[in-house]
Amino acid sequence: MKQIQVQLFGAFSELDPSREIVVQTEGERVGDLRRALRALLARQWPQFKAGLLDYSAFADERQVLRDGDRLPEDGRVAILPPVSGG
Amino acid sequence: MGGQHAWKVVDRTVAAIDPAEAIAAVSDVGFGGIDVFIGKVRDLNQGRAVQGITYDLFEPLVMQEIGRLVAEVEAQFGPRVTLYVAHAKGRLAVGEVAVVVAAGTPHRDAAFRACRQLIESVKHRLPIWKQEHYEDGDSAWSEGCSLCQDTAEADDHAHAHGQPTHC
Repeated sequence: MKQIQVQLFGAFSELDPSREIVVQTEGERVGDLRRALRALLARQWPQFKAGLLDYSAFADERQVLRDGDRLPEDGRVAILPPVSGG
Repeated sequence: MGGQHAWKVVDRTVAAIDPAEAIAAVSDVGFGGIDVFIGKVRDLNQGRAVQGITYDLFEPLVMQEIGRLVAEVEAQFGPRVTLYVAHAKGRLAVGEVAVVVAAGTPHRDAAFRACRQLIESVKHRLPIWKQEHYEDGDSAWSEGCSLCQDTAEADDHAHAHGQPTHC
């Protein structure tokens, strides 16, 4: 079991005033975090538009991570919903 | 040869973006063409009266990604090109400047094309989110472009806003 701190951006930032949540994952990959977060959203924030997760990426401070990538050693990632800058 | 590229995030509580700075940053005695794109907050979106916009950024990754975008544009139009990007952070009122992108090159065609390529990439690839605040008191996060898809697809605009690609 790995504990991941997920920084929240965009619509996800409304989940918690601290703009960060902790997610327990079973595996070492980003895809494992996605599965764990999907379950946590359904359990803890049933009103949230959970489908948004399907279109959201994860990243560390240097790059976007793919589902097959290993989770960062420091256990910190950001969730990036579809972007809308400019 | 042009000067050094420059990019930054501007916290609206500290300062406003200054388009004149962009022009100065990409100016060079060898550059006869400068193109500047200025993006401002509009008063209407999809029929709803807008009062302002809050921009949320994952700033460390924004700075990394702009560096990559600038390198891509330079690889295509350089080495005689200088580029500038500034994006606002925080709450802006209608009419305020949200983003400025500028390109300086020896001739106008390359300046237009380099600037266009860079602003499109800024809009589609940077981890930035827009929350619109409406006159009726409601607020909503804008639907945008998913970062799940490959870079090449994103640049090819192979997406539809509001119908992003599944991760």
